[in-house]
Amino acid sequence: MCRTGHRPDPHEPERGDTSDTAFAALLEDSAEELYESAPCGYLSTLMDGTVAKVNTTLLNWLGLERTAVVGRKRFTDLLTVGGRLYHETHLSPLLRMHGEINGIALEIRRPGGGRMPVLVSGAVKYGSTGEPLLTRLTVFDARERRAYEEELLRSRKAAEESARQARADRARLQDALAVLQQSLLPATLPPVPGVDTAAHYHTASPDRLGGDFYDVFPLDGTRFAFFLGDVCGKGPQAAALTSLTRYTLRAAALHDPDPVSALSTLNTVLHERYTGGDPRYCTAIFGVLDPDPVTGRVAVRLASGGHPPALVVRADGQADFLATPGGLLVGVLPDPHFTAAATTLGPGDNLLLYTDGLTEARTGEDRTALYGDQALRDFCAHRAGEPAPALVLALTGLLDELGEGLDDDTALLAFGVPTRPAPGPATKNPS
Amino acid sequence: MSPLNFITRTAPTGPVLEIAGDLDYAHAPQLHAQLPGLDLRPGQRLVIDLAGMEFCDSTGITALLAARNHAHAARADIALAAVPAHTLRVLRVVGLDQVFAIHPDSGAATRP
Repeated sequence: MCRTGHRPDPHEPERGDTSDTAFAALLEDSAEELYESAPCGYLSTLMDGTVAKVNTTLLNWLGLERTAVVGRKRFTDLLTVGGRLYHETHLSPLLRMHGEINGIALEIRRPGGGRMPVLVSGAVKYGSTGEPLLTRLTVFDARERRAYEEELLRSRKAAEESARQARADRARLQDALAVLQQSLLPATLPPVPGVDTAAHYHTASPDRLGGDFYDVFPLDGTRFAFFLGDVCGKGPQAAALTSLTRYTLRAAALHDPDPVSALSTLNTVLHERYTGGDPRYCTAIFGVLDPDPVTGRVAVRLASGGHPPALVVRADGQADFLATPGGLLVGVLPDPHFTAAATTLGPGDNLLLYTDGLTEARTGEDRTALYGDQALRDFCAHRAGEPAPALVLALTGLLDELGEGLDDDTALLAFGVPTRPAPGPATKNPS
Repeated sequence: MSPLNFITRTAPTGPVLEIAGDLDYAHAPQLHAQLPGLDLRPGQRLVIDLAGMEFCDSTGITALLAARNHAHAARADIALAAVPAHTLRVLRVVGLDQVFAIHPDSGAATRP
């Protein structure tokens, strides 16, 4: 292609006038030929728009004879209706004002009613006294470009539609997740005669179904069972495990409300369900509340499977963990040991169950600076004597304060014995 | 977040898997993926050396339990070595200190 190269043409062993002449012949014959057969359309119009000159390329696109165009048609006659309008409103005023136009998109009419997208540039030629003489226009084939633009437009529409669909799907999924999440927790706690109950669930991420759970339900006329726990992992698998755990414990308790027995039944179910390379387990405290309608005191028996110990906050300000050492995660071993403990709650006493989202919450940049058991005990001891709902409310405020440091779900469940007799059948009729 | 790295070596007691980095929700699956590649024969002991482990959450503990199940399926034993203090505390809370043999370092864990 490039004549400045130094390599000799293999077909022209002798370089010299002969090859240069041959090349000039190949290159271009005349300015007229260049005009007529250029790869773009050329035309010149008088100032009223009448076509004065047009090249063969453009005539071929139009499918018209030269004699039918020159002196007989105006430039606008070659355009589609839309193109004509655009010419009148934009192109013509621009030419008059600036004397030139650049890359205006129009459509020309083709034989048989077709149309062809083109890009038109033009410049006005002025006479020696500055009066406009004629307009020269170049017309470029824009079919490929138009197709490309349409393709781009289609792609953009498709992308916008996908994005819209994705937003809708996401909203629907979050709705479904919220419903499922609710099914994992009781909507409300049943009233327990002579006992204040309060619970709170903090979700670390709206996208991830939680792995903490709790429940309170009646066992018979007087006793109530409760549990609170934490399944390993996060997401849908954890939620499925939570669901299985919740309903297994409920059914087990109705069969045998002994806390160790209930956890053992759950252990059997989980261990058989999840073995091998994908072990699933949970930690849980299961317990039974046995309120004495005469004394108003509430006997609590519970058992722990690998769960952080419950906290007993006495009315006098004493706060102690109800130790359940050595209780194993539920679902790990076929025949595990669960640790039982018991206490009695008097007026003003509270029993708090929690998941380690709270005690493992980060209190600094370092992941080893955690809120901890001691801080929780102190926090609750300062609120000794307050009703259970007030304690849970204070802890909810604490969770909010922990903010970013709280990166796990957290469940809270508290039982308290009111200092004054609570309204209810058990206290109204203490026989 | 630190990436999770593994080094496997062979001791007289069997394979030693050194874990460095974060054994958490994002990385624990990598430990699951390591298990099938371990050359663990009946009667051997799989030692998991946690000296380089910087963080371990409940999914990390699940992965350790999966390693235990894997070892038992191969009729082998499992031991943890150099468990960081925080993880050791968690293992005690959930009772797993009774389930895993825990050694101060891999030297003690690989003593036949």
